Amino acid sequence: MRGCRIQCPTVSMAYPCRTPARHRESWRMVFLKDIIPAATNTVNTKFIILDKGNKSQEGKETTCVALVADETASVYFQMWGGECEAFEPGDIVQLTNGIFSYHKNNLLLRAGKRGSVEKVGEFTMMFVETPNLSEIRWARDANNPKNFVQEGVISVHSRIFSPLT
Amino acid sequence: MELPQLLQCKPFECENPLGISLREAFVLLQSQLKPPFSLKIPNPSEYSQLNLAIVYGILTQPQLAKTHLTHLHAIVTDGYCFFTSTLIKLVNDSFPRLLGTPRTQLLWLTSKLVDVSAVKIEALLVLLLRWIIGGDFSEPNLWLCAELLKMFLDKWEWLSNDPLVLTSALFAYLRLLADHYRLAGGVKLEALKRMEIDFCVRVLRECFGLCLKIGRDLVRLLQDVVYIPELKELWKDLLFNPDVFRVSGFSDISQLYCVRTPKHYFLLRINPEMETELRFLLSFVKWGSQKRYQVWFAKKHFSLPGSETVMVDIVRFICCAHHPSNEIIQSSVIPRWAIIGWLLKCCRRNYFQANLKLALFFDWLFYDEKHDNIMNIEPAILLILNSVPKYVDITHTLLDFLFLLVDNYDFNRREMIARCVSTSFSLLLQKGVVHSFEPLTSCCLLAPPIHQRLAIFIAPKSTLNSFAPQVITEGEVGK
Repeated sequence: MRGCRIQCPTVSMAYPCRTPARHRESWRMVFLKDIIPAATNTVNTKFIILDKGNKSQEGKETTCVALVADETASVYFQMWGGECEAFEPGDIVQLTNGIFSYHKNNLLLRAGKRGSVEKVGEFTMMFVETPNLSEIRWARDANNPKNFVQEGVISVHSRIFSPLT
Repeated sequence: MELPQLLQCKPFECENPLGISLREAFVLLQSQLKPPFSLKIPNPSEYSQLNLAIVYGILTQPQLAKTHLTHLHAIVTDGYCFFTSTLIKLVNDSFPRLLGTPRTQLLWLTSKLVDVSAVKIEALLVLLLRWIIGGDFSEPNLWLCAELLKMFLDKWEWLSNDPLVLTSALFAYLRLLADHYRLAGGVKLEALKRMEIDFCVRVLRECFGLCLKIGRDLVRLLQDVVYIPELKELWKDLLFNPDVFRVSGFSDISQLYCVRTPKHYFLLRINPEMETELRFLLSFVKWGSQKRYQVWFAKKHFSLPGSETVMVDIVRFICCAHHPSNEIIQSSVIPRWAIIGWLLKCCRRNYFQANLKLALFFDWLFYDEKHDNIMNIEPAILLILNSVPKYVDITHTLLDFLFLLVDNYDFNRREMIARCVSTSFSLLLQKGVVHSFEPLTSCCLLAPPIHQRLAIFIAPKSTLNSFAPQVITEGEVGK
């Protein structure tokens, strides 16, 4: 039931992506460079979509991987279902309660069942493509095996989406 | 009752905050929006809420719009300032997302606000002109173009007393006519072209004194429509019979050449979204990181078959209406000339390419140190010089085109134009925009005729003998 992920707090179905302002204020927004792999839906961030890959099927759902970035880093973002059609390169997206975790051996950011995404703008956001957090090797923290720490860089640039030069 | 909708909201898209405020005010006050209206004088906060509710009511309920308008007339205490400002904000941020009924209602409402001379109505009309997208010949866009024009003709009395709106409308419609006239289309398009011709001719014939305020770009626009019979007549009068315009003191087209076009005219053919994106690109994006932005910009604004025409307007906008601060000029932000170079590469058809180059050099042809701004001519010289190492064909094409303009733009005034171009070169050097023309003079990849012409234009003034009469400047007296 992935399609029902977006909470609809308003009365009208015409506004499916509205989130009450008071919730927004309490979010702790993070930059992409500060996200760490974890099994919890706690990532609140804003990014711009740089590129979109081909759609594929996972069970009954369509998925699509995109390269997204903010002014500190880039990462792969996995879109599900309707998200694949709704978002295009150049869109600025707000992710609420997202999850950054391994999915079939790839480290991906996504909304997950408890998170939500909404388009909040277009074009007017700065970004960098390096580092790409999905192209970093992470290891368990020796002091606290629950946590991940950065171990090394696999690739400076995305190996899926080539940078435009 | 189901709530009538104002703006289109796509899945996963954040709702526009003003759209929310308007709807919430409407829902809250719906019961007060029908007669008998309350006689109580609202406090400031109630007044704003009532205004917002009426905006929503008029835009979404055509059958009740007249009642809402009567209500508005009854409560208004600020000359419609808050009401019109709200519409301006809505149109500026969300015009493309306005649904069909609200669009029709908006045009009706605007004409009603003209009738009461609402405060800021000029700004609303100018903004609506900006949302007619250049090179977009789709039904909704041509509809906006035709409806606004009908309104202007309908409100002629009012319009002819408002120089800003009158000259803005003339600027916009001359530009649009140039694109529409080349199109073959059905009855509707033919009627639109007819109306555009009649409007432009009427403004120029009846209010020429006001049109002079547009300055030299009026000439540029007129030359693009001069093959239309009615405008050909007008053009001939402008050249050979300027007295028919009955403007005292106006006796020659060169008087128009001398007036630098005020900045606000260049915004008229750049829609608000495009303006935001161009200013962002030229204020924040670092050299080397512009590629993706360019791809997105092109996809959004250059994807229609007629879109190339907009590139010409963008070049005028960049040269004349977007002047970055010294801080930005010295930073690693992508410079204006590089964006213009990109536009030149995107522009494929000869006709638009020539217009684009004319747009780039236009202020060179009439440059007057007293009245002109060096920033208007800066992008062309930097594009010429910086293209030498890798894209010498651009340097060549641009210089060739500039010299072609000097010879042919206005044959009878070519000496004046040659002097202005020469002044442009020397001021660019004198003011330190460029340090030297040596990269050009020593470039063996430029054809000999280009070198010869260039040598004349960049020579120190005292050695010039081809541009009589000579102007003696202070610097030359002591030599």
